[in-house]
Amino acid sequence: MNIIVCLKQILDPEIPVRDFRVDSDKKEATRGSANMVTNIFCENALETALQLREKTGGKITALIFGSVESAEDSLRKALAMKADQAMMVINDGHPHPDPLAVAQVLAAAIRKTGEFDLVMVGRESGDWGVGQTGGLIAEELGIPCVSFVDQIESGADGLIVKRQTDTGWEKAGARLPLVVTVTNNEFNVPRIPKTRDIMMSSRQPITKLTLDEIGVNAGEVRAGGSYYQVVDLSIPVKDVNCEFVSGDTLDEKVGNLAKRIMDIAQAL
Amino acid sequence: MSNVVVCLFSASGYDRAAQGVAGAGRRLADSLGAKMHIVAIGPSNPDFNSQAAAVADSVIVADQAELSEYQPEICLEALKQLCRPLEPRAVILSNDTWSQELAPRLAHRLGGSAAGDCLDLTVVDGSIRIKRSVYGGKAVATIELKRSPAVAWVRSRAFDPAALAASTGEIKHASAEIKPDDRTRIVERKSETSGEARLEDAKLIISGGRGLGGPEPFKDLQEVAAMLGGQVGASRAACDSGWCPPSWQIGQTGKKVAPGLYLAVAIQGASQHIAGMSDSKVVAAVNIDPDAPIFKHCKFGIVEDYKKVIPLLKEKLAAMK
Amino acid sequence: MSNSEATREVLWNISYSWVMYLMLAASVLVAGIGVYKRVELWRRGLPAGRFDQPLERIRMLLKHALGQRRTVRESYAAVFHTFIYTGFIILTAATTVVMIHHDFGIEIMKGAFYLYFQSFIVDVFGLMVLLGVGIAAIRRLVIKPRKLVYTDEALLILGAIFLIALTGFLVEGWRIAATNDPWGAWSPFGYLIARGFDSIMSESAMRTAHLLTWWLHAVLVFGFIAWAPYTKMIHVLTGPLNIYTARLSPSGGSLKVMDFDKAAESGDPLGVKTLAGFTWKDLVDFDSCTECGRCTSVCPANTVGKSLSPRDIILDLRNLMHADPIKAFGNGQPEHPPLPIIGAVAATAPESLWECTTCGACMEACPVFIEQMPKIVDMRRFLVMEEADFPDTMGEALTSLESRGHPFRGTQSSRIDWTDGLNVRTMADTQDAEVLFWVGCGGALLERNQSVVRATAQLLEKAGVKFAILGREEKCTGDPARRIGNEFLFEMMAKENVETLNGYKVKKIVTSCPHCFNTFANEYPQFGGKYEVFHHSEFLAALVSEGRLKPVAEIDKKITFHDPCYLGRHNGVFDAPRQLVQISTKTAPVEMKQSRENGFCCGGGGGMSFVDEPKDKRVNQERARQVLETDAEILAVGCPFCMTMMEDGINAKRGDRELKVMDVSELLWQSVSNQKS
Repeated sequence: MNIIVCLKQILDPEIPVRDFRVDSDKKEATRGSANMVTNIFCENALETALQLREKTGGKITALIFGSVESAEDSLRKALAMKADQAMMVINDGHPHPDPLAVAQVLAAAIRKTGEFDLVMVGRESGDWGVGQTGGLIAEELGIPCVSFVDQIESGADGLIVKRQTDTGWEKAGARLPLVVTVTNNEFNVPRIPKTRDIMMSSRQPITKLTLDEIGVNAGEVRAGGSYYQVVDLSIPVKDVNCEFVSGDTLDEKVGNLAKRIMDIAQAL
Repeated sequence: MSNVVVCLFSASGYDRAAQGVAGAGRRLADSLGAKMHIVAIGPSNPDFNSQAAAVADSVIVADQAELSEYQPEICLEALKQLCRPLEPRAVILSNDTWSQELAPRLAHRLGGSAAGDCLDLTVVDGSIRIKRSVYGGKAVATIELKRSPAVAWVRSRAFDPAALAASTGEIKHASAEIKPDDRTRIVERKSETSGEARLEDAKLIISGGRGLGGPEPFKDLQEVAAMLGGQVGASRAACDSGWCPPSWQIGQTGKKVAPGLYLAVAIQGASQHIAGMSDSKVVAAVNIDPDAPIFKHCKFGIVEDYKKVIPLLKEKLAAMK
Repeated sequence: MSNSEATREVLWNISYSWVMYLMLAASVLVAGIGVYKRVELWRRGLPAGRFDQPLERIRMLLKHALGQRRTVRESYAAVFHTFIYTGFIILTAATTVVMIHHDFGIEIMKGAFYLYFQSFIVDVFGLMVLLGVGIAAIRRLVIKPRKLVYTDEALLILGAIFLIALTGFLVEGWRIAATNDPWGAWSPFGYLIARGFDSIMSESAMRTAHLLTWWLHAVLVFGFIAWAPYTKMIHVLTGPLNIYTARLSPSGGSLKVMDFDKAAESGDPLGVKTLAGFTWKDLVDFDSCTECGRCTSVCPANTVGKSLSPRDIILDLRNLMHADPIKAFGNGQPEHPPLPIIGAVAATAPESLWECTTCGACMEACPVFIEQMPKIVDMRRFLVMEEADFPDTMGEALTSLESRGHPFRGTQSSRIDWTDGLNVRTMADTQDAEVLFWVGCGGALLERNQSVVRATAQLLEKAGVKFAILGREEKCTGDPARRIGNEFLFEMMAKENVETLNGYKVKKIVTSCPHCFNTFANEYPQFGGKYEVFHHSEFLAALVSEGRLKPVAEIDKKITFHDPCYLGRHNGVFDAPRQLVQISTKTAPVEMKQSRENGFCCGGGGGMSFVDEPKDKRVNQERARQVLETDAEILAVGCPFCMTMMEDGINAKRGDRELKVMDVSELLWQSVSNQKS
């Protein structure tokens, strides 16, 4: 089975609120001293892929569309986690191209890898949280998609995927080729690579492609705003000052807490 | 006259979420000077239909057998066929699993643009703009959807229901031409929520975190939640530890909720978690650590061991009933 | 007869004495083989320096091998070991005297020397050996402390020494009695025995008894010599060797630097997977162990009931090394690789290795300078770097270090939040900073410690010190990565930090974190970072003594001080923080039972502050209990990790008692700024 795992590199989502700034002209967050990291759901997807490969065999290709300066780090990490090969489409245009542009690039690159059976992406990214890439890739490739998957097994006629729903879960039988978007659960916490593998990953080759090499409308992708455009990005002002419930004894404090909770609950 | 289509699944009833979505669609249609149609996928439900008709110009009931239960490929194809003849300017969906799964693909099939998790929909110079929270809740972005239709899935509780119209919209049945598609087939479903309603729709949520130390304390939280008519959620740490089902998880990597009251019990308040509940109207916390970051987001709180607070709280609330 | 003629006939009553020489030769041969076998095993270890600075090493030898400075720290062992050890030395000297006198024909065993030394002193020391064995036996058989290892070998050794000394006295007694030795009373104990025999035995019977016992004594002595190198008695040789080759630098610098390029090429495991991954010095450590158990008895993890036992790690690996050396080290053929040691014996189970706080108490306690802690880290290195096997929450800390440059996952603070309202400059926007104030992640990002670094900065400001911080450019020194065992990550962070620091031409560093302090002082020099580094307590104490800071108010509270392992034991800074307590309160701190070199860890070192300990086995709560034994109202600390660990521990244990935890710089700031707490 040929598995393609699409990765996205994002600004470290754990950047403290006070360090978080946005550039309202460029409509993006300022990087400051924060790092670029692989989006957590992408890592959940890679972990799910690695576990699937342990059961069914196959080959995992890590694919990223990103800046040539930093995106390689995510691929190196994927190789250290034991992806079989790594491929990068260099983004030399808009730093945050719209989701359709991204999906078109990834779909074109996936076709370029040759045969593919399963395309795995994270359910959304920790920066813009768009949550469309998987579905749009499926449409671009003309194949079905199951979202919010957290477990994959091989089935009689392809795969059995389990996905989270609002109220619990659903299991679907799926024939290949297929796109899944992956969410996290207790079993797909991304493994931490072995140092030995990190050392070795720096010696593995990475296929690098330019937008002009994969057969997309490179001009439109570079402009990156034909699908949608961010017109404003700002940090909401919040004024919260926690009031600790008063009381001389625990009993009194909890009593006051209960009163406040009840007041709100009854007004809802 | 242009059209706004609201796509709902009738199986979940005309609940608060559906009302919010319909309200969002109605107001968008009004500001566009457009008509608003509700497409109801799934078994026909007269209550649903009449309530929907009270806010819509028409209700299109898609209750054919193939749509009696949710199958992604089939529903997607049906939605496309039902929307297309209306040439919608916008298609509005809820933020449930199914809608989120279908919206971007529907936009693609209709030649439009999608955006999700919308907190607000506006029309500026004829263009549709949505507002959504980004960067884990640290920022808010306004996005203009360039293609038509604008397909938006909205954070349903963030929108008020629409005022009931004087006249009721027409209720009509429609069907799509659906070829069998068994490339994917949902074969099993299970519900394991903490209560009957979805977390996203809960008006009050009590959440437990790593500090609870195990699965047992969640039972206490459930009891308190039941007394208040709320639901129980959890932090990623608690879910990752396997103390509660993943569907309870609130945070950047789980549910994004906006209840009237969010009570965080033994939750430190990592940004990851805050991202999922920062839209709550009132946040309160029980935590033994006065420096826990969660208190920075709280209107009120108590610095005590949850083990002492929760049983006592249960007592006090029971006495108030 | 005058005393100047005093002597005795050597080999009186003994014929066929050449048999004895034969026995001597045989026993030396057997012993030699025993020693050789061990040396052969040590030679399988990797290189380690340890022969530089010979004068300093000789000083160590005099102080700790001859002088037994560490052995005598424990009073019970001090008595019996001194008795047996000095007895051995005197008796060996006496035997050498006999040899010189009889075999070399240099007649020294006569006159006053014979009477005072060869008779009186030797007799007294012989008696001490008997007493020493008795005291040791009482401990082993009656008192039975938990820290000892109860082996037959240990009892046999005691029994053998007892019999050797006893037969020696009997031989002496019979000789004195049978020869009617005019100088017999110079050997008081032997003389007492002689008088006893005299009254009940005929001369010929005594001669026969003497002859038989003499040979028995010889057999015992030579047997013991032959056997000793195969037992823990080898410590008589390896102890001094281990002390001579001990690490001379502070124990904070005891971890080894690795060569990753080489490891990538050779494929040799990162960290220690098998005994072949240790240096020869590590292997000598194993053979030096006397099984005294002090390391385990002072181990904080072991004290609270966890499974970690540094003693058992050393002993189990020693036994593994000797049980089947070919299996242990492999035979050089790929199909017979060396035996992996982690989990091969109970003591090296990963769960135990993950309990070490790297506090170094074990190393400090060891009379023969065995380095237990670095071996634990060596094995952790293998687990982390080759197996990616570590407690989940330590993994989170490592991941955070890697992508965020600090170990505190999910912190909402930024590096400079604590400077709010202060005029603290960064290196980037100042030219004239003489001192870099290295805040540390624990100071900047753990909210409780923000007031500590604020106090320090305000004190520096008040004293007119031209200082600056790195601000957002500051990254963790890598200490947690290194102690957890991710040496690769540590090396990356070290190189990055050294580059930043050298870029600003930093000369002097003041830091609030003993872990950072240790890294700068002992570890960065190997990566080209050489700085003069001070813990804030040292720097502030100096400012006070220079008169640049003047304590105004007196804090009227009883204070005890908890030594941070990485400031105290690992780097020998004990006095400066106590001085700050003294300055702020006008009285010296009350001391806990375990303080200074013997301080008990807060439980937070070695990456352990990132692990949830089992509720009933928490090191910080045990330390809190020790704090509560004093009547202190404030626990003073000097480390951001100790601060949070001890606050947690004390809050769990203090009940209704008021006991605050404060950093020494907060105390001084209160006193200098005349603020009431």
